[in-house]
Amino acid sequence: MIIDRNEKYIIIISFIVGCTFLGYWILHDPVKDFKASLPGMDNRPDSISDDIENVAIGETFIKLAEDYNPESTFDWPGFRGSSRDNISFENTPLIDNFHDDKPEIIWKVDLGEGHAAPAIFNGKVYLLDYIEEEKADALRCFSLETGTELWQRKYNVHIKRNHGMSRTIPAVNENYVVTIGPKGHVMCTNPDNGELYWGIDLIKDYKTEIPFWYTGQCPLIENDIAIIAPGGTSLIIAVDCKTGNILWKTPNPDNWGMSHSSVMPMTLDNKKMYIYAAIGGICGISAEGNDAGKILWKITDFAPNVVAPSPLILDEGKIFMTAGYGAGSILFKVETNGDEYKTSVLQMYKPKKGIASEQQTPILFNGHIFTILPKDAGSNRNQFVCCNVDNCEEILWTSGKTNRYGLGPYMIADNKFYILKDDGNLSIAEASTDGFKLLSKTKILNGHDAWGPLAIADGKLLMRDSKQMVCVDIRKN
Amino acid sequence: MKEEGTNNEITRRKFLTNALRASAGIAVGGLAVYVAGNSNTKDLVWQLDPAKCIQCGQCVTNCVVTPSAVKCVHVFDMCGYCDLCGGYFRADAKELTTAAENQLCPTGAIERKFVEDPFFEYTITEDLCIGCGKCVAGCGAFGNGSLQLQVRHDLCKNCNQCNIALTCPADAFERVPVDSVSIFKGFSDIEFVNKS
Repeated sequence: MIIDRNEKYIIIISFIVGCTFLGYWILHDPVKDFKASLPGMDNRPDSISDDIENVAIGETFIKLAEDYNPESTFDWPGFRGSSRDNISFENTPLIDNFHDDKPEIIWKVDLGEGHAAPAIFNGKVYLLDYIEEEKADALRCFSLETGTELWQRKYNVHIKRNHGMSRTIPAVNENYVVTIGPKGHVMCTNPDNGELYWGIDLIKDYKTEIPFWYTGQCPLIENDIAIIAPGGTSLIIAVDCKTGNILWKTPNPDNWGMSHSSVMPMTLDNKKMYIYAAIGGICGISAEGNDAGKILWKITDFAPNVVAPSPLILDEGKIFMTAGYGAGSILFKVETNGDEYKTSVLQMYKPKKGIASEQQTPILFNGHIFTILPKDAGSNRNQFVCCNVDNCEEILWTSGKTNRYGLGPYMIADNKFYILKDDGNLSIAEASTDGFKLLSKTKILNGHDAWGPLAIADGKLLMRDSKQMVCVDIRKN
Repeated sequence: MKEEGTNNEITRRKFLTNALRASAGIAVGGLAVYVAGNSNTKDLVWQLDPAKCIQCGQCVTNCVVTPSAVKCVHVFDMCGYCDLCGGYFRADAKELTTAAENQLCPTGAIERKFVEDPFFEYTITEDLCIGCGKCVAGCGAFGNGSLQLQVRHDLCKNCNQCNIALTCPADAFERVPVDSVSIFKGFSDIEFVNKS
């Protein structure tokens, strides 16, 4: 009985202890203080892009100086020059050494905060500035020779400072200047007298979602047709520069968004097409013929949230595309079989594994690709690098730890690289595939964030930092 | 007169007395200097130099305090208040929302609040921060570098030999005067506010 009684006590105690633990286990919630991170906890409004402004595109014109007919030989008529390759084909001999002197700054002009860069045509400089005091996008026309401002065509639009305000480069030919403003206002004017032809509001007309840091897309004019990529309801549109009529538009079945990238022309097996890297994927769109505007092919393997560089068109249907913010790069090939197109990924990698770029579009030269690596490219970050066009994962050489360039622009002219570090230092290097051969460097700009692409014509190099543009004479005497 | 003259002479006893007094004075002075020197040492504290930090993640586990006394500090003066924040969002985030799967911070220690289009403010909740530096790396790679790691001295035990400093591969830890405990890169005179 004693044993039985002990057993009874043990059972009772065990039962009580068990119940206590069970009760504690049931009642105690170890994660009761946890807070789930759910969408919407940042109080972001449902529609962040506030009310759509009624913008009278090109409403105001100011003539600032008398017309003049400059003598000029060469042009830089838009984003990446005449051939959209960032290589100047003019034969003006240019300096390869600054010696002890800085090159002559012919003129300089204050600009609104931003990264918009100039185009040069017939001795005139065109730049779509944002004038903060007037809250206006302004197409400003200057004399290349003297910097005298000739006229402004502008319109009021409210832009808040967001790592600069202006970002695009006009496209110019004999008859038209086409611009895209930070909030997607397309404007076409006469390049000589600034007469307004037409305007398109991409947000209103195409439900365009403007990218994070405003529109960075630079328009393209071919055969007096402006090529614009709105995203929204139409992936790409072709606009008759004379009338403003839409000649064709590409549907956007996958609802891809507008990126900071620009449309690049490409010809594959005698078929002309436009390549666009949207937010969502990259596509090739027929540029001519009965199927103009048709999506010929698309690829979604490389679809970062932010895309600033533009597609680099290589030989044999190959295309190199890169983006910053951890995205890396892709090298892919487009092949045709009659009317059928197919794409195949050749290389795709993160920025530490090969060449990449955050903001500037690389240069193709002599079968090699040249670029400045992004900040997240490991120990080679911000260095100017080179790779063979067939293997973008193998960096052949770098500019070294002492030559880093940030997000600065670069170009080839007179067989030399002109590389602007984003703090305003200009370097000259031999345009060589064998290695980085620095010839000279000097400080030109005193501001910061010198990200706007370079432009050159008749030996006059235009460059800008966030608030000022200068024209530098780099002709060899 | 003879007696007075005798009194002015230095006797052996007087010499020894003076010598003892001088020795005592030197000893007291030396002790004072030693104490003063020792107190100066106590006025130094450990701090991390963000310019040297490589965000290796060792601050999380090598601090004797758990969670680590190293925290992320937000230097608001340097922040761009971006919608797409490299310190808040994973590089492959598909949406810019506060959903957990989009966040880079493993403990959800960064609070994101809408300010006005297109600006967002990011605030560190120090109780949750473990000092891993993932946000610091992201901000440095894609943004202005306004997120920086610092030793928080309300948490730091100020060990004689900091355990993190012993293993820091970037040699980023150093002793700094207690009256200027913060080291920030980018700005010399800045204000910061962390939520505690």
